[in-house]
Amino acid sequence: MGEELLKVDGLKVRFKTDDGYITTVNGVSFSVKKGETLAIVGESGSGKSVTSLALMGILPPNGEVVDGDVTYKDKDLRTLSKKDYRKIRGNDISMIFQEPMTALNPVFTIGFQLREPLMLHEGLSKKEAQARGVEMLRNVGISDAEKVMGRFPHQLSGGMRQRVMIAMALSCNPELLIADEPTTALDVTIQAQILTLLRNLKESSNTSIMIITHDLGVVAELADRVIVMYAGEVVEVATVHELFESPQHPYTKGLLDSMPKIHDVVNELYSIEGTVPNPAEMPQGCKFHPRCPFGDEECVQTHPNLLNVKGDHAARCIKLAKKELVV
Amino acid sequence: MKYLLKSLLKTIPVLLLITMIVFVLMRLTGDPVSLMLPENATAEERDTLRESLGLNDPLPVQYLAFLGDLVKGDFGDSFRYNMDALDLVLERLPATLELAIASMIVAVIISVPLGILSAIKRNSVLDLFITGGAVVGKAMPNFWLGIMLILFFSVTFQLLPVSGRGTLAHLVLPAITLGTGIAAEMTRLIRSSMLEILGQDFIRTARSKGLRETVVVNQHAFRNALIPVVTIMALQTATLVGGTLITETVFAWPGLGQLLVQAVNLRDMAVVQAATFIIAIFVILSNLSADLIYRLLDPRIKYE
Ligand SMILES: Nc1ncnc2c1ncn2[C@@H]1O[C@H](COP(=O)(O)OP(=O)(O)OP(=O)(O)O)[C@@H](O)[C@H]1O
Ligand SMILES: [Mg+2]
Repeated sequence: MGEELLKVDGLKVRFKTDDGYITTVNGVSFSVKKGETLAIVGESGSGKSVTSLALMGILPPNGEVVDGDVTYKDKDLRTLSKKDYRKIRGNDISMIFQEPMTALNPVFTIGFQLREPLMLHEGLSKKEAQARGVEMLRNVGISDAEKVMGRFPHQLSGGMRQRVMIAMALSCNPELLIADEPTTALDVTIQAQILTLLRNLKESSNTSIMIITHDLGVVAELADRVIVMYAGEVVEVATVHELFESPQHPYTKGLLDSMPKIHDVVNELYSIEGTVPNPAEMPQGCKFHPRCPFGDEECVQTHPNLLNVKGDHAARCIKLAKKELVV
Repeated sequence: MKYLLKSLLKTIPVLLLITMIVFVLMRLTGDPVSLMLPENATAEERDTLRESLGLNDPLPVQYLAFLGDLVKGDFGDSFRYNMDALDLVLERLPATLELAIASMIVAVIISVPLGILSAIKRNSVLDLFITGGAVVGKAMPNFWLGIMLILFFSVTFQLLPVSGRGTLAHLVLPAITLGTGIAAEMTRLIRSSMLEILGQDFIRTARSKGLRETVVVNQHAFRNALIPVVTIMALQTATLVGGTLITETVFAWPGLGQLLVQAVNLRDMAVVQAATFIIAIFVILSNLSADLIYRLLDPRIKYE
């Protein structure tokens, strides 16, 4: 580990809406190293999906990257030609989505959709792609793979569809797999199976994984490093061990405190008060201050920078610089 | 196959009902005899003719007699043309079908690319132009468009025949006249259908695979967007078989529309019955084929 595969620097994304432009990702920087699993956590609306779509180059038509750099290996993805970008998508970097029910095209068979990237990126014939597709389905634990190839998405369960999505995403041996809340829409037993699949992938290959999740349990289980996002910004970066052992940002602490602990008898589940601010009405200064138990006048005035705490562990809080925050 | 058979059986009561309605309407709205005989015919002469045609029998009796002939394929003779009414209608049918198919082809050729284009370039100047054009195309009356086309292509530039049927060249202007209105409606439909589909998750998946945008749009999106469009296409085809009177008149096109209107005016009952029957069959057939294509396009619809 160590070599950087993907580097995102100062990424800024805005959307055109009826009420003008809103910036939903604002200066996000991070990197994914070869072979590592990076988790991105944060509440709903913090900009996790938008970040991943931006670096895949598949933002919805009203969204655009207005600033920052995305570098994959030594390629600057923002200035890459459309054609060269397409060669990376689904091939070097692939993605699975939160909603397996709607992520597959309803009018094409699983086989058709699975063969597509193989024929496109690997130049396989239809027959070869079919064989590889069957193999990919077996790898994700679908035993009657030949039959499933001939099925349409609506004939499969959500868990099966997500397996198909994973098989599809892995079919061209990507260097980076982006999994955007791959288990959120599934029931608990299926969640566990999908997570096992991802863990096997992590252990058996050198594929880097960027997993987006709300679920700190998933983070603990899979991730090497974690990025915590809040209101379109990275508020903390740490190794998974550091994050759980000594979280620095009050928001991260809130997230950890609101995590149900199996061993404790918790009477009342803690949750952070308030909600993620609407991108159109971002608070001044530190974006978390209205919800922060430590927020004061200074936090309203000053927008904090990411501050290195220890090694690569950094957090975005001015109290840290002044050592006022009791960790 | 079983499904097809079942649907075909279901059409029989519909056809029966249509013959009944036409029958009653024709009998109640006027007396054919007065039009069949010269103005100075006596009341006696009229009554004799009426009696010989069976028009003095009670309506139900007349209808049953009509049905009895119908199952033998006999609609009676046209008193205007003095020939078998069904033959008369079937003689006109090819002209009507030819024009209907040609108009649909024109409509598809215009609407598919324009609908897709305005969807992927939504809110652009081009989109505005296309949707604006669709409104104009829909609002334009067929007789006016037909006459304008004749003036331009036939009179001024003498590129195409003014009227009549015969060569492929004769077909061009009437097909454009009829196709334009349909194209306008279909363009708007394809645009909105495409817009809805392009926002779906599976389109994002298709892009994330690295597919070219043309493949994403023309294959992944269009195959889905087509599903609601097919229904409208079938309805339009049915309309074309039934009612293209104005265009037929402008271009002197010897189709069913002209024959039917003439027959209604003359109370030529046998012809009206035969024409409505044949038109009804085509309306039913186009609906049925829409249903079949629908099922073919959308695997989520189960048979039965
Ligand atoms: N197409 C769009 N147009 C306008 N705003 C958008 C669009 N897509 C996303 N946003 C806004 O961007 C912000 C970030 O959204 P994003 O989907 O990245 O959140 P997220 O962190 O992935 O949340 P979740 O956990 O719910 O998936 C939200 O405020 C959202 O409303
Ligand atoms: Mg999301």
